[in-house]
Amino acid sequence: MRLETRKLLDKAFSGLGLIAIAVMAMALLAILTPIIWRGSKAFVFKGTIEHRRVMLEQFDRGNSDRFNEELNLTAAARAPVYDMLEAFEAETAELEKTLEAQEDEKKTQAKVLKNQARALKREGGSEEEIARLEAEEDRLKAEAKALKEQARSLGETREEPYEALVDAVQELFGPMPGQKKPVLIRQQYGQTRWDRTLVKLHEVMVEEEWDYSNPDAMGVLVENPRIEKFRGTGLEPFFQYLEDHIDEMMRPKTTFYWQFITDTSKDSHIFGGIWPEVLGTIYLTLGAMIFAIPMGVIAAIYLCEYAREGRTVSFLRICISTLAGVPSIVFGLFGLAFFLNTIQVSDSKSVLAGSLTLSLLILPTIIRSSEEAILAVPRAYKEAALGLGAGRWHTVMTVILPAALPGILTGVVISMGRAAGETAPIIFTAAVSVGAPLKIWETLNQPTPALPWNIYNLCTEHEAVDEIRHVQYGMVFTLVAIVLLLNLFAILMRARISKKLRG
Amino acid sequence: MKIQILAMTAAATVAATAGASDKIVIDGSTTVGPIAKAFAEYYMAANPDVNITVSESGSGNGAKSMVNGTCDVAIMSRPMKETEFKAAADKGIQPVAHVVSLDGLPILVHPSNPVQELTVEQVRKIYLGEISNWKEVGGPDKAIVTISRDTNSGTYETFAKLVMNKEKIGGKCEYVGSNGAIRQRVQSTPAAIGYAGLGFVDKTVKALKINGIYPSAETVQTGEYPVARPLFMYTDGYPKLGTPLYQFITIHLTEDGQEMVEEIGFVPVTAY
Repeated sequence: MRLETRKLLDKAFSGLGLIAIAVMAMALLAILTPIIWRGSKAFVFKGTIEHRRVMLEQFDRGNSDRFNEELNLTAAARAPVYDMLEAFEAETAELEKTLEAQEDEKKTQAKVLKNQARALKREGGSEEEIARLEAEEDRLKAEAKALKEQARSLGETREEPYEALVDAVQELFGPMPGQKKPVLIRQQYGQTRWDRTLVKLHEVMVEEEWDYSNPDAMGVLVENPRIEKFRGTGLEPFFQYLEDHIDEMMRPKTTFYWQFITDTSKDSHIFGGIWPEVLGTIYLTLGAMIFAIPMGVIAAIYLCEYAREGRTVSFLRICISTLAGVPSIVFGLFGLAFFLNTIQVSDSKSVLAGSLTLSLLILPTIIRSSEEAILAVPRAYKEAALGLGAGRWHTVMTVILPAALPGILTGVVISMGRAAGETAPIIFTAAVSVGAPLKIWETLNQPTPALPWNIYNLCTEHEAVDEIRHVQYGMVFTLVAIVLLLNLFAILMRARISKKLRG
Repeated sequence: MKIQILAMTAAATVAATAGASDKIVIDGSTTVGPIAKAFAEYYMAANPDVNITVSESGSGNGAKSMVNGTCDVAIMSRPMKETEFKAAADKGIQPVAHVVSLDGLPILVHPSNPVQELTVEQVRKIYLGEISNWKEVGGPDKAIVTISRDTNSGTYETFAKLVMNKEKIGGKCEYVGSNGAIRQRVQSTPAAIGYAGLGFVDKTVKALKINGIYPSAETVQTGEYPVARPLFMYTDGYPKLGTPLYQFITIHLTEDGQEMVEEIGFVPVTAY
C-alpha cells in the first residue's frame, strides 16, 4: 500500500514536471514568436521608392543610375496627381476671382443707381422713379452680398477640404515638386514602407470624423470618403487614379535591410538603423563584465578558501544576499549619487558610470555562482594538490579554478544576459535617447544610447510613436538576439572547457 | 615666418579647443526633447565630430544635472526655481536661460469624447476631483479618468500654476512620466483627460478649446490661449562665442531652427 502511494506520488510529480515544462515552452513560444515575427519586419519588408531614396541620399547606398531611371518612372506616374491638384487649385482661384469681379460689378452698378436716385431727389424728379431706382439698388446690393457669401463658402467647401487632402498626399509622397526642401529629414521623404503607404493611402481616400449626435454616449468614428467633397470638380477622377496607380507611384519591392543594425539613426529613429544603441549595449555589458568578473571571482575564492567561517563571513554572506535582492532602480540612483555626483568618475553620464553600476548589480550573482562552483570541486583534488606540496595559492590557481571554471561561466552567462537587458540602472548613469556611436576611448566620459532604454524611450516618449513601431520591434528583436547569442557563446565555451577538463 | 608660426599656433589652439569640447550633453524635459533631438541631429549632420547626446528625464532632473554639473544644456519646460538657482550658485554654476520656443498646454481627451470645450475653472475642478463625471460638463455619463505628469515635470509645474492655481491635484489622479505616455494613456482610455505639449498633439487625441480658445500656434503666439509657456534651454553662463555649444544654443534663432520648431509642432519665438 505504502509502495503504491509512493509510486502514485512519483508519477504525479513527474506529471507536474512535464506540465511545468510544457507551460514554460509555450510561454517562451508565445513571447518569442511575436518578437521574432514583428522584429524581422525591421529587416525584411516591402520598401518603397522612398526607402531607396533615403538609402541613396542619406547613406550613399544603391546604384544611382538605376535609381534615377526608377525615379523618372515614378515621377511620370505621379505627374497626373500633381497636375490634377494644380488644375483644381487654379480652377478654385479662377472661380473666386470671377465671383469677386461679379460682386464688384454689382456694387458699381448699385453705386451708379444710388447717384442717379440722389440726383433725381435733388432735382425734384418723380417719386415713382426714385423709388424704382432705390429698389433696384437694394436688389443689386443684396445680390452683391449673396456673391460675397458664395465666395466665402467657396473657402469652406473647396479650400479647406483641399488643404487637408494636400496634407494627406504630402504624407504619402513627401514634399510636392517645386516645394522648398524642408529642414527636418522626416519631412523630406514620403512613406518608406509599403504597409505604412497603404495606411496613408487610406487616409487620403477617407476622412475620419467623429459623430457626436448621441449626447448620452461616446462619439462614433465615421469614415467619410473624401471624394464626396470633390464631386463634380476636376478632382473627382483623382481618387480612382490614386488607387489604381499607387503601385507605380511607390514601386514596392521586397527589401533586405540588414544594415538596420549597422546604420546610425536619422532624425531620431524615423529613418536609418540602431547601431549606436547596439554598440552602447555591447559596451555596457562588456564594461560590467570587466569590473564584475574579477571582483566576483576573487571574492568567491576568498570566501571559500581563505576566510575563516565566523560572524564576519556570515555577515558578508548576508550582505551579498541582500545586494542580490535590491531593486535595480536603487542601483541606478546609487550609481548617479555615488559614481557621478560623489566620486565623479566622469563629468557627465557615461558608459563607465553605467558599467560600474551594472557590475554592482550582477556582482552577487557572480559571487554566489562562483562560490557554488568552487565548493563543488571535489575535496580530493585539493587534498591531492596540497599533499603533493603545492601551496594554497598554487592549488587555487592551478587546480581549483580550472575545475570550477564551467560553473563560474554559468553564473557569468546568466549575469551577462541580465546586464544587457537591464534598464533602470542605466537611466541615470549612462543612457540617452539620442547620441552618436562612441569610439572605445569615448566610453570613459560620454553617455550612449542603449537598446533597453531606447526601447522604452521609443514607446513612451517619442513624438511619432505610431510611425516607427517597426524600429521598436527591431530593437526588441536585436536585444533578444544579442542576449541569446551571448548565452550561446558562453554555453559553447563552457562545453569546450568541460570537455577539455574531462579529456 | 613669425606670422606663419602665429597662425599655426592659433590654428592648433582652435583645434585643441574644438577637440576638448566636442561633446554636448543635454538632459531634461520630455516636452523640449523633440526640439533638442532635432537640433542635435541637425547640428551633428553639419559637424560630425561633435557628439550631442539628449536624454529626456523631466525638467526637474535637467535642473539637477545642471546643478551637479553633469550636463552642458538643461532643457526645461518651466523656468528654474529659486532653490535650484541657489543650489547652482553654491556650486559656482550660473544658469543662463535661452527661450527656444513657445508652447501651449493643450488639454487632451479621447477623440470619441463629445465634449469640445471646457473652461480653466472646469479643468481645475476635474483635477481637484470636484467634477468626476463627463456628464457634469456636457458629455456622456462616464467617470473621468484624470492623468497628470509626474511632479518632477515642468509640464506639471506649468499646469499646477496656470490651471490648478497651486491647489493640489485630487487623489485619484494617475501620474505618468512623459508627454508621450500621457498621449498613449489618453488615446487608449475613452474617458481620460490629460495634458501635454503642443508638439504631442496628433489625430489620435483631441485638444479641447479652453475658455473658447483652441490651442494653436496663432493663439499661443497672441497670448489668447490661457495655458501657454515658454520652453527653455539653460547653459552654465552664456556660452563662449563661436564654440559648438554657442552654435547649438542659437540654432533656434536661425531660419532653419525656426522651421524645425514649427514643423515639430511648437511655436517659434521669433515669428511675430
